[in-house]
Amino acid sequence: MPPLRPRPAIGPPPLVPLGYLACAAGAFVVASAGVAWLAPELAGHYYHPRVLALTHTVTLGWVTLAIMGASYQLIPVVLGRPIWSERLARWQLAILAVAVTGMVAHFYLGTWPGLAMAAGLLAIGITLHLLNVALSLRGFTEWTFTARLVVLGYGGLALTTLFGLTLAANRVWPFLPTEFFPTLHAHVQLALLGWVTPMILGIAARVYPMFLIAPEPRPWTARLQLWGLVSGVPSVVLGLLGVPALLVPGALAVAAAAAGHIAWILEMARGRKRPGLDWGLRFALTATAFVVPAALLGVALASDRLSGPRVALAYAVIVLGGWISLTIVGMMLKIVPSLVWYRVYSPRAGREPVPTVAQLSSSRAEGPAYVLLTSGVVLLAGTVLTGDTTAIRGAGVVLALGALAFGVALARVLSHLRLPRPTHAAAHAR
Amino acid sequence: MAISREHLMLVLRDVFDPELGMSVLDLGLIYGVEIDAGRVRITMTLTSEGCPLHDAMIEWVRQAAGKIPGVEAVDVAITFEPPWTPDRIRQGTLR
Repeated sequence: MPPLRPRPAIGPPPLVPLGYLACAAGAFVVASAGVAWLAPELAGHYYHPRVLALTHTVTLGWVTLAIMGASYQLIPVVLGRPIWSERLARWQLAILAVAVTGMVAHFYLGTWPGLAMAAGLLAIGITLHLLNVALSLRGFTEWTFTARLVVLGYGGLALTTLFGLTLAANRVWPFLPTEFFPTLHAHVQLALLGWVTPMILGIAARVYPMFLIAPEPRPWTARLQLWGLVSGVPSVVLGLLGVPALLVPGALAVAAAAAGHIAWILEMARGRKRPGLDWGLRFALTATAFVVPAALLGVALASDRLSGPRVALAYAVIVLGGWISLTIVGMMLKIVPSLVWYRVYSPRAGREPVPTVAQLSSSRAEGPAYVLLTSGVVLLAGTVLTGDTTAIRGAGVVLALGALAFGVALARVLSHLRLPRPTHAAAHAR
Repeated sequence: MAISREHLMLVLRDVFDPELGMSVLDLGLIYGVEIDAGRVRITMTLTSEGCPLHDAMIEWVRQAAGKIPGVEAVDVAITFEPPWTPDRIRQGTLR
């Protein structure tokens, strides 16, 4: 006899993750407009205070808030544990929003003591998030592929934060014995490969089969992703910090993880039962294509076959703007309608006609967003290589229009939240 | 009034997975139904464990079955053995 058990809802109220995701989308629109605004700075060296302001708008305001918001929805689903404190999750968002705004403003103005203070506030917000997740996971024992990657990602977030704080303090009171640029690169790679990559791979492992209606891919592809990151990320970071012999093997291990991820996605895409792809899935699958040039460029930069600030900036655009951002856009176009539907229409279902989740989406906004954002990223990667200010500004305008279309698509979904919720009595009436 | 299995299947056809836009029957989520006088017991699964959107479907199945004249009680039991796979989807129903 199969085990029969009730399934209580364990996710937090949808407004908690929606708050994070809405703030993240706002940061994405600002950052995309910032590309056009900061075209002259992007045509120069990447180590410029305003380029750093733009980078942190993307990495903290967009990517980190989006991942945290998604994790508040998906960790209870994926790991089967309720979030320890929803109130803490709300406070964290306020702290993080102030801290990220402060960091970006101080980077933009080039005022380092203020930056160090904002970085300290950010570290508090991130620590609270880690605490909330750690307390949520007390007693957790089911170490699936996704669970391992999520924990790995949170380890990466803790180390990236510590690293960033050290760099901020070093800017005010120089004390680090290491060379500046390799240390900066180590911070960047730790953030991209140690925090963001495991979280995306882990969450994708859970939601892509669900969205594509595809069978689980063969386990070797998952093992390659996990072990490629576990061995590659520490090697890349240590290689940059002072053990150069580790850098190329580390980059190759990360490239192997990327190959495993592509094989995993291809197997799912081929075996999927869902014939039509909505815009969210098109974004997510297109994003995966950017993993190929990202991995090739990463290995080429690590082995000194390519070098210089222009190539490094193009690499950052492909990783951050191509793979990571387009993946997050795709996931948000799937997750946000589900959350809104659950809050607004779930209590009405069965009592009155309700739309499907897909009917909340607006293909009139999502289609242009897809075309503009994907072409904008390709254009930006190409134009930062040339260093031509006008061309970078043009690519920035395309990106900004795409981000705006994405914002409109999300706003149309979120506008359903204005519908009054049925009263408790009405919701339970037969 | 006797409750027929056909009537039960008919009402379950109107319970939709909101994300996929397909009924729980076409998705192959219903593993079994037992009718004992006015008591209905439905054993079903979900496409993925823990998703609150899917969890809501359990309540909709309960409500749909409860609307059939003569039904006095509905038990909905969830099982993940065997786990749901896309192969359970009824051919030609996916858009």
